[in-house]
Amino acid sequence: MIVLKDVKKVYDERIVLNIPHLVFDLTKRYALIGVNGSGKTTLLRILAGILKPDLGEVTSTSTNNMGYMPQSPYAFRFSVEKNVAIALDKEQVSKDQVLEALKAVGMDHLQHAYGNQLSGGETQRMALARMIVKPRNLLLLDEPTASADIRGTSQIEKALLKYADDNNCTLILSTHSPAQALRLVDEVLFLDEGRVIEQGPAEDVLHHPKHPVIQEFLDHWKI
Amino acid sequence: MDGLIKAINLLFGENPELRQIIAVTLRMSLISTSISSLVGIPLGALIGSREFKGKHWVQRFTNTLMGVPPVVAGLAVFLMLSRSGPLGSLKLLYSVTAMVIAQVVLITPIMTGLTATIISIPAPRIRETAQGVGISTWRQMGLMIYECRSQLVSTVLVGFGRAIAEVGAVQIVGGNVQYKTRVMTTAIMMQTNMGKFHFAISLGIVLLVISFGINALVNYLESRGNA
Ligand SMILES: Nc1ncnc2c1ncn2[C@@H]1O[C@H](COP(=O)(O)OP(=O)(O)OP(=O)(O)O)[C@@H](O)[C@H]1O
Ligand SMILES: [Mg+2]
Repeated sequence: MIVLKDVKKVYDERIVLNIPHLVFDLTKRYALIGVNGSGKTTLLRILAGILKPDLGEVTSTSTNNMGYMPQSPYAFRFSVEKNVAIALDKEQVSKDQVLEALKAVGMDHLQHAYGNQLSGGETQRMALARMIVKPRNLLLLDEPTASADIRGTSQIEKALLKYADDNNCTLILSTHSPAQALRLVDEVLFLDEGRVIEQGPAEDVLHHPKHPVIQEFLDHWKI
Repeated sequence: MDGLIKAINLLFGENPELRQIIAVTLRMSLISTSISSLVGIPLGALIGSREFKGKHWVQRFTNTLMGVPPVVAGLAVFLMLSRSGPLGSLKLLYSVTAMVIAQVVLITPIMTGLTATIISIPAPRIRETAQGVGISTWRQMGLMIYECRSQLVSTVLVGFGRAIAEVGAVQIVGGNVQYKTRVMTTAIMMQTNMGKFHFAISLGIVLLVISFGINALVNYLESRGNA
């Protein structure tokens, strides 16, 4: 369980995250949805421990093995293989494991390419392989398919679901796609100007939102 | 013109003093650059890779040291090593060791400052990604240094260029003793004063060739680093 209490993050005197109380139940999967600048990345960074909130606290139980994938993951100037292997301890590096993770995201053909020479979508897939190369019980993913094409997106989604099932891993991801949230998660948190304005089962929040802001947002959802 | 021809003859001839001066210069510069790199690169990586209280002041201090005039650094080391100074009992004054010390004092802040600047550019993104997969702070720093390897090699060469071309500090603490602490720059100064231009010119040519070589290497590394 992860519990946030009175968490606030302020940049230049502007409150960009304001969460009086929020609980993540680690048996469920969550999606953060909200317009640009609504605070999704800030919330994920705080959950990952990358960013300290200015106020309040985050307490968590049984999240000892967490992985966090930033919105624009870094690709090192060495091979894709090695870029993935950095997630493993030096003693436990296994080529097969790395290759398997790359296969899962459709990147095995580029294992020897240079990380810094990949395309945006390829970089994101490589970063995802880095996440799933070893068992974890919590993955925080910031827009994991933002740069992927539609085929890549379904491949990544499939890999993520399989990984989460196999490893009993909780997912908390942000996404701009309501459809993706419906495919991947149990619960949706809708963020607006740093606040969670609605939280509940994905179907409810995305098909029958209570909040007018969400209704307005979803009016833009077209095929 | 006559001086130039004499200088070239001297360069390709068998002048023991000339060779000795070049050897001392290279030895001094190599040792001081190595020490400065071993200290300055990790220190710079530490400063550039993290946010901490007082970072601003540390950077200011480093920048100030980077700009210390060589003669001032030379004077400080001279006072430390002189017979009545705190390290006087070591009897290091007018030795190559003293010159190395002075150069380390001069070059280490440069290596530190340049490294900090280089590392600070990719540091936030590397940190976020590396911390996200549970990589320790120390290994993160190693990754940052490795990631910036070609630029860091360039800074080592810049440091070496400084060391080999420096004159004020080594003159003060080395004393330009013949066959002992005379290096190319101090020899050029002295020979010029004495009117022995051909000797000065031939040393000047060697210095130019070395600087040119270093510059070419830096350019090559930078063009490769950007690819
Ligand atoms: N380092 C920073 N300094 C100042 N302001 C910041 C900083 N980081 C984020 N912000 C501000 O905080 C707000 C929330 O940013 P955040 O990155 O969490 O948004 P987001 O929901 O992830 O947006 P997007 O969908 O564009 O990724 C934004 O208005 C942003 O300008
Ligand atoms: Mg974001």
